[in-house]
Amino acid sequence: MIAGRGRQRIRPPRRSVAGDDVDFEQTWTKISAAFTEIHTKNASRLSYEELYRLAYRVVLKKKGDELYKRVRQFEHNWLSTEVRSAIQALFSPNLLANTQGLGGTTANERRVAGERFLKGLKQAWTDHQVCMSMLADVLMYMDRVYCQDVRRLSIYTTAMLLFRDDILNSNTSEIDSRVVLALLNTVILDQIQMERDGDVIDKHLIKSCVYMLESLYDDEMESEDQRLYNVSFEHEFLATSSEFYRHESEFLLRDSDAGAYCKHASRRIYEEDERCRSTLAESTMPKIRKVVEDELIKNRIHELVEMESGVRFMIDNDRLDELNLIYDLNARVDDRKTELTRAIQKRIVDMGTDINNAAIAASQATPAAPAPEAGDKAKGPNQEKSLNQQTVAAIKWVEDVLQLKDKFDHIWKDSFQSDHSLQTAVTRSFADFINSPTFPRSSEYISLFIDENMKKGIKGKTEMEVDAVLDKAIILLRYVQDKDLFERYYKKHLCRRLLMNKSVSNEVEKQMISKMKIELGNNFTLKLEAMFKDMTISEELTSGFKKHVEGLGDKDPKRIELGINVLTSMTWPLESMGSGDDDENKRPKCNFPMALDRIKRGFEKYYNEKHSGRQLTWLANMGSADIKAVFPKVAQKDGSFKERRHDLNVSTYGMIILLLFNELPADQYMTFEEIHAQTNIPRNDLMRNLQSLAVAPKTRILIKEPMTKDVKSTDKFYFNEGFNGKFVKIRVGVVSTGNKVESDRERRETEKKNDDSRGFCIEAAVVRIMKQRKELAHQQLVLETLNQLAAQFKPEVTMIKKRIESLIEREYLERIEGARVDSYRYLA
Amino acid sequence: MSDQKLTEYVTLVSSDGFEFKILRSAACIAGAIKKALDPTYGFREGEQNSVTFASINGVVLEKVCEYLYYNQKHAKSKEVPDMEIPPELCLELLIAADYLDV
Repeated sequence: MIAGRGRQRIRPPRRSVAGDDVDFEQTWTKISAAFTEIHTKNASRLSYEELYRLAYRVVLKKKGDELYKRVRQFEHNWLSTEVRSAIQALFSPNLLANTQGLGGTTANERRVAGERFLKGLKQAWTDHQVCMSMLADVLMYMDRVYCQDVRRLSIYTTAMLLFRDDILNSNTSEIDSRVVLALLNTVILDQIQMERDGDVIDKHLIKSCVYMLESLYDDEMESEDQRLYNVSFEHEFLATSSEFYRHESEFLLRDSDAGAYCKHASRRIYEEDERCRSTLAESTMPKIRKVVEDELIKNRIHELVEMESGVRFMIDNDRLDELNLIYDLNARVDDRKTELTRAIQKRIVDMGTDINNAAIAASQATPAAPAPEAGDKAKGPNQEKSLNQQTVAAIKWVEDVLQLKDKFDHIWKDSFQSDHSLQTAVTRSFADFINSPTFPRSSEYISLFIDENMKKGIKGKTEMEVDAVLDKAIILLRYVQDKDLFERYYKKHLCRRLLMNKSVSNEVEKQMISKMKIELGNNFTLKLEAMFKDMTISEELTSGFKKHVEGLGDKDPKRIELGINVLTSMTWPLESMGSGDDDENKRPKCNFPMALDRIKRGFEKYYNEKHSGRQLTWLANMGSADIKAVFPKVAQKDGSFKERRHDLNVSTYGMIILLLFNELPADQYMTFEEIHAQTNIPRNDLMRNLQSLAVAPKTRILIKEPMTKDVKSTDKFYFNEGFNGKFVKIRVGVVSTGNKVESDRERRETEKKNDDSRGFCIEAAVVRIMKQRKELAHQQLVLETLNQLAAQFKPEVTMIKKRIESLIEREYLERIEGARVDSYRYLA
Repeated sequence: MSDQKLTEYVTLVSSDGFEFKILRSAACIAGAIKKALDPTYGFREGEQNSVTFASINGVVLEKVCEYLYYNQKHAKSKEVPDMEIPPELCLELLIAADYLDV
């Protein structure tokens, strides 16, 4: 087509559009008239195209600048005359009055006036918006061509700014210098306050006003934080809210209890969130939340927790919901929940100390209490009784602690959402009071608790229950710092249980040990397991020996059956089984009667054949014997003349003593000294055995002269031919066979021994560390030693120092001369 | 403001009296037409569903309508065939385009 024409010809645009000279003033008159129509909502009479064309022409004629200014002026005039007066008409005198802080109007009047004002303002705003977008559309060509060319704000934005300047920032009236914007803020805040007080307000209305503030900017840059909303309203809103909640929290703390306070606080937080969503802007949410949290929680949490009805009260009364609330609140303002943690810890330690004190009191009060009625009783049983009492106290202590633990576990799970940091806090507090220096007996008590359960508690329980009990014990064990002390006690108690067959079930014992193994490691249970192994080996030895004896063909009807326990001296706490002060090596060997001696030698021979080079030490003080005793026909109180047979279960010493009387004619007696000389039983043990044989009413197999409670070295003993027991089997108890709380003297000893063994542990640890490091500064060495031993116990630093000194003396270590800090070198 | 339903077609009238009925959606591609027909403002054009252009003649307006359909048709496709524009109309079309904000 183009080629066909040969010559390109472009038709020039017709001049008629732009060619005619446009009379600007005339055009403007038309346009401004149209704008007035638009503002008065009569747009349907106007032709958009015509207006658009007019503006288009003006701009084409390079009169854009003039047009822009005129439009601006027009809008300014319109707003400051028509709209402003409309708005001012809304200010009822009482609206003005009460925003000045004068009372005297009811909330309802205030609300109505406020709503009227807001409504008017909102109406003006929406009208303005609609009109301006129409204007902007008409003037689109100007926006597109002129404004972009000279980088002016679009006419719409300019008009919005005009609204801000001419309406919001105008004075409320001639005499009042406050601007409308401030009034608006006050009114909105007033409305919000009403809602906080429980009134219903027009949320939607406020929301539209907030939208208005949000879409206006304080400066020309239109940055987010310069929105009028942020600059003027939000700021004031936060300030008033903060003020409000400060007062409220003061009031609430004074007038209600902690639980109600918590409920109220969390409701307030929820309300403010909700308000931001429905009434204000979402962007305010984090800010107002922070204000509320600060005022209601952060600044008050301390008082709240400490309140009479605070955390302590809640714990005591199992207010799980309220605790949960407090936890929630605290978690909001503080990740680590310091206050709550502190309160909980304090409470645990308090309650723990109470339990400790109760246990101490229980164990101390008893010796005093039975004293009057026990006036005629001997000192021995009395002390015995108090020990018993203490044992009960010990078990009660453990049970109390477990109960406390249960309680807090429960609270922790239900109220604290199983919060990790709180768990550590709880654990630490338990450890604190269990290990508190005023209460050194926890290890012993826990061991006693296990002992008690092993002996009786477990009987008749299902496996599950047994497991639960053991687990509980382990939990407590976890808290104990001085694990070595516990090990010592446990060994001692276990030893008694094993040797005296007190344990209900070996299975359970083993289970317990394997639990401890999991919890505390191999080292801890090594010796305990060895004890069990000894027991098994002993059983084998016993049956082996029995076969061996039968194999010899010795058909002695009077043969004595021997049950033997061979114990490795290193693993068994034998020293603690002895009567105390006499040393193992010095312990005099008691003389066994002939019959026994033979079988004893027989076993020694048998044992030596199996294991050469081992020495057997006989510990008669730990054994027991079953004797069949026949009491002759003697006239009884009830007149019968029967021969009576009894199976007597007595200690080995008791058996030896009784055997002496076997060889004695019926009416002969032996003095204490004679018995002692013949048997060579340590005086202490002898005295105790004689006491149980001759004094205790139910097992009075011997008769003592004179009949006093105490055994004296000059006392004479007869065989009680007239003995009559109710049962065929009679157990002659020897004083202090069960596991009881130690007396103070015993305890000091145990502690001393424990300290000694700790000394070795420390030395071993130090040497291990130094061997590896060769040279090390003092501080570091101490630190590493502490670390290594943490699983077993917490040594005192002075003790470590002493051990290091002694190692230097023995030339394991030497000080490094001239080092800047104290350092040691390992000497191989 | 105007309660009447939006019609599917609108009328564009040229300065010399030609009327073009075209799809509203196509017409609204042009910014000025869209604004003129916007029902929320209630200008006369919006109520009558027709726009009269005093500065555009029939020939040019026809080409404009052609372009509006052409634009709508190819709005989403990638390889768009060139639209045939007679050179003699170029300048007038440019002015119209500027005016209509196409």
